[in-house]
Amino acid sequence: MLATASVLAAAAFAASPAAAAGTAAGTTITNNVTLDYKVGGVAQTALTTSDAFTVDRKIVLTVVSNDGSTVSVTPGQTSVVTTFTVTNASNATLDFALTPSQPAGGTAAHGGTDNFNANNLRLYVDSNNNGVFDSATDTATYIDQLGADDSRKVFVVVDVPLGRSTGDVAAVKLNAVAAEATAAGSLGNAVVPSTGANTNSMDTVFAESGNLSGNLQYDGQEFALGDYTVSAAALSVSKTSRIVSDPVNNTTNPKMIPGAVVEYCIAVANAAGSSNAIATNIAVTDNLPAETTYLSAFGIKLNGTVAGSTCNPDGTAGGSFANGIVSGSLADIGAGVTKTLVFRVTVN
Amino acid sequence: MKIWLAILALVAPAAAFAAGGNVSLSSDVFVERVKPGPDGKPAVVREAPGVVTPGDKLVFELGYRNSGAQPATGFALTDPIPESVTFAGSESPGATFSVDGGKSWGPLASLKVRAADGTARPATRADVTHIRWSFAQAIPAGASGKVSFRGVVK
Repeated sequence: MLATASVLAAAAFAASPAAAAGTAAGTTITNNVTLDYKVGGVAQTALTTSDAFTVDRKIVLTVVSNDGSTVSVTPGQTSVVTTFTVTNASNATLDFALTPSQPAGGTAAHGGTDNFNANNLRLYVDSNNNGVFDSATDTATYIDQLGADDSRKVFVVVDVPLGRSTGDVAAVKLNAVAAEATAAGSLGNAVVPSTGANTNSMDTVFAESGNLSGNLQYDGQEFALGDYTVSAAALSVSKTSRIVSDPVNNTTNPKMIPGAVVEYCIAVANAAGSSNAIATNIAVTDNLPAETTYLSAFGIKLNGTVAGSTCNPDGTAGGSFANGIVSGSLADIGAGVTKTLVFRVTVN
Repeated sequence: MKIWLAILALVAPAAAFAAGGNVSLSSDVFVERVKPGPDGKPAVVREAPGVVTPGDKLVFELGYRNSGAQPATGFALTDPIPESVTFAGSESPGATFSVDGGKSWGPLASLKVRAADGTARPATRADVTHIRWSFAQAIPAGASGKVSFRGVVK
């Protein structure tokens, strides 16, 4: 007996799952009433009555940015992505028309001030909703047939122009408009709210709340903001020298006299604050100082490190010397890293 | 500051009416909203269920009349809560409830709901599946009355 009751209780819950979107639009709510009575102690035929009305369509949608902080980009970087989630909290399936834009000026989503427009602004719906932009599969530009209480991720994609400086900000905006779901595979017309008196069939009410300044209530559309901040590599070069030895004192307190060996260290430092601002293709050239002779026995050591202001002797052989010019290419220098080119001369 | 809530005239509700034998029965459902009244202040309005969306508040009114020449006994009005509605209280006095689809009845405070793992917890308004008024006394000839309760559209 108890087992039966528990199954019934569980079934009573399962029978009407309360989704956040609520009762599906177009559902008929019917109220049945039964009256039992007796006359003269004799039970009479029970009387019943019922009345019904239709649940209308309540349009609610939200658009939120998935990026907890600004998206850091480098000048010239292509296909950089800001990610948003569009949620259909209506009690009906809908399509959503999507539009990206670049607000001009003002405070961007994560606090910076918008001061440039990126190039090639476009958007794509995340076809498998995994939050990763895959240009091969994420190609749709509107959301098709999104069910009640379902959501989909959308990518806004841009290319960053060259010539931007560290701290430059480009703001982006994604606007979503509720549209009729009509046929799968094509974007329906924008939903229009029912005006005038109620009808006996399903009517439509806009009930979404604007959550950002400029985001109007009850107009069937919502937007969210994102932003990109530029972090350019910031290279600086310094050249230091030390006397290694002289013919008289060797390496003990060597003096700058003819025949002394002098070591030059050219240190290239990348002071960028962002980990993806990596300097590449670094070519260093240096004219040999006057009155010196290139020491080919030592050669040129590349990609050494520094300890404070001291150049460590940990570079590897490379580079070339010709016509009085020392040349070498350094490997990529990441943010906060310094790499050196080291060579030696003898004083004439 | 007092806020005046005025109940405006009833607009024709979703109504149903049945008569048979010596009794008649009516069922009316209203949607209750707060709207600016004629003086601009918020007023509670009861309307026919025109535009109804999830979350809307409903008022159910059941009317009865003994139109016969003899008193009627054993009067019982039973109303299963519609599937897309959550019972929300404010029921007329004397109601009993069921949370198990009409198998057992009692005051809400005495009812329990069993979870799938067998543990029992006190039933809440959201668990109510049926509401009933059983009149202990006879309804005299010609007498009529109304009972009501509230619900919310899921």
